[in-house]
Amino acid sequence: MTEAVFQETTAQPRTQSVPLSHLSLELGHLYMEDFEAGPERLREHFAEVRIWVDAARAAAARRTGGRRPRISTCFLIDDYFTRFSTPAELVPVVLAEAERAGLVVDYLARESGCAVADKIEPAESVMHRLVESPPPGSYGSRPPVSETGWLPNGQRTPTSRSAMGEVTGWQPPQETAARNHSVFMDVELWSEKDGQRLWSCPFLAAVWQLARLGLLRHLGAPVLAPRPWNGGDFPHDWDLLPPLLQLNASAAPFSAYRTCTLMPNRFLAVEDAVRLILDQVDVDSGALRQVAERSAREGAAVPAAVAQRATYVFYEEPTDAVLHGET
Amino acid sequence: MAATGRTAPAVLVCGETRTCLLPSFQALDGRAAAQLLRLRADEQVSVSERPNLYALSPELLTGVDCRLPTANGAKVRAVGTVASRAALTEGRVLQAGAWFSVPAAGPDTRRPWGHYLVRPGLVEPFGKLPEQATAQGVLRGSARGELDLGMIAEGLLAQLLRHPLLDHKAPFKSRRTHLRWVARRAPAGEGASLERFTLAEDGLRTVELRLPEETPATAAVGLCEDLALHDWLLTTLVHMLDNSRLGAVDGPSAVLALRPAVDHLLHLWMPQAHVERTLGRLWDVLEREPGFTRQWQTLVQRIRDQLAVQAIPLLHEALSTR
Repeated sequence: MTEAVFQETTAQPRTQSVPLSHLSLELGHLYMEDFEAGPERLREHFAEVRIWVDAARAAAARRTGGRRPRISTCFLIDDYFTRFSTPAELVPVVLAEAERAGLVVDYLARESGCAVADKIEPAESVMHRLVESPPPGSYGSRPPVSETGWLPNGQRTPTSRSAMGEVTGWQPPQETAARNHSVFMDVELWSEKDGQRLWSCPFLAAVWQLARLGLLRHLGAPVLAPRPWNGGDFPHDWDLLPPLLQLNASAAPFSAYRTCTLMPNRFLAVEDAVRLILDQVDVDSGALRQVAERSAREGAAVPAAVAQRATYVFYEEPTDAVLHGET
Repeated sequence: MAATGRTAPAVLVCGETRTCLLPSFQALDGRAAAQLLRLRADEQVSVSERPNLYALSPELLTGVDCRLPTANGAKVRAVGTVASRAALTEGRVLQAGAWFSVPAAGPDTRRPWGHYLVRPGLVEPFGKLPEQATAQGVLRGSARGELDLGMIAEGLLAQLLRHPLLDHKAPFKSRRTHLRWVARRAPAGEGASLERFTLAEDGLRTVELRLPEETPATAAVGLCEDLALHDWLLTTLVHMLDNSRLGAVDGPSAVLALRPAVDHLLHLWMPQAHVERTLGRLWDVLEREPGFTRQWQTLVQRIRDQLAVQAIPLLHEALSTR
């Protein structure tokens, strides 16, 4: 077909592409309690993580057929649920402990950037893109997630009273994709307090995964674009730190075809919830196509389902005994 | 009728479009139209200013797992996503529609949800699709528990009508119409065709199309939205003329009754303005019989004549008092 002579830019929305690595490797996720445990906790963390980083790099290299894979590392600090310390105090400690273990942190992110970044609200946008997996019998009625703020992987236990008002016996919930038996899960995406919406940890972590997978856009433009660090001091207020900071000028691109996240095993439930969310997000089709085409061209085609692109290593958390050298 | 993802090509596309007057005293400009149709915070609304002001929302998806409507009572379970979108023409006529494509056959078990999400607007049947029965079932309307396009379109329309931009002071009374449509695959080597357009009661219209395999579902959606828009314009104008009781009431009140048509409707007639070129010629059938544009021009001429007739005494009066 011949191309149209007349064109209107506002009538043909386009999606900008982002540079992509093979693997986005998350070296850690720091909460206040980790920080309060002192630099020894970080030291233990990075020493443990180092082992798995080598394994993840080897796995990525196998996937690229021996060619050197582009791998970027990142580190996430929670400044959303609790505010603690300052970037000036904390960031140099993190970087020093990582370096001691032979690791380089390429990108540093603030968790609140998944809620609000540069006046854009990525979490809100992702919420609009939830398309719930319909339990059998769904014929087009309104999905309730936007009202309840809860997202399940199946059908909940019916309320104990039927429409007629009589009390009925307990009925089990049902996982939609169950194999013989159900593992039913219901994830709280947000809570409201004083008219303020507080996003849940799994929901922000799902947004974080989408950012790392290069699948977030706002009106076609990339979201959470990394900003370079000028090498100077870190600010004394978290709000003055860019949501995503590029610490290593020669780093591979932040976003990648796949992600690997290294974290203590207490995060298992949270990350399972992240997968449940990712499985029900209708991501930007333009971004999805770009990633699929480029990964295929490089011989590293991504799985069609977004949640399948995220892998994890859950390791045993260092105990206080280890930290304090007691035996 | 191509759908994304590696899957069997669709043999049937079904949809329903609801059309109504935007309940707003003023027509919306392009910027306000984009605000109204911003169904997703992060996705652009497409706004076109030529040849008329036309805003189109991003597409939304609704997950379904239920029986397909069938005319012969065959029970076919299907799983997938139904797509929906809204359009606003000249800031005045609002349309909300839902549609899905179906391949000839699908697997006998439900697949992981991610499989369906990457095939937006595709619903896969369990086993073989009874194509003819499903097409007729959709046109007839869903029974309880069957995939309900009308419900999805209505849900979207209701969501839009709650938008704070709307003051709910429509400049005149009008009725909604809903147009149900099905597009079956054209025999190999044959082009697109419009097989039937039925004007039913209570604002229901049905359209049957035949489309080549390579025609995207959204092209069919665009065509049916265009048909629905112009059918609504005709319906509304006919209704307005009926109510004005031309000739039966005195001049000024007839003028008052017809004034909204001049202010809000007469400039909206523009068939094929946003229809894909390959499908535009399907309009020709309707222009020959019953002659949509012919009827519109007659109605418009009648209104203009009436206004001219009413203006003569006023002009006379003005000249005589000079």
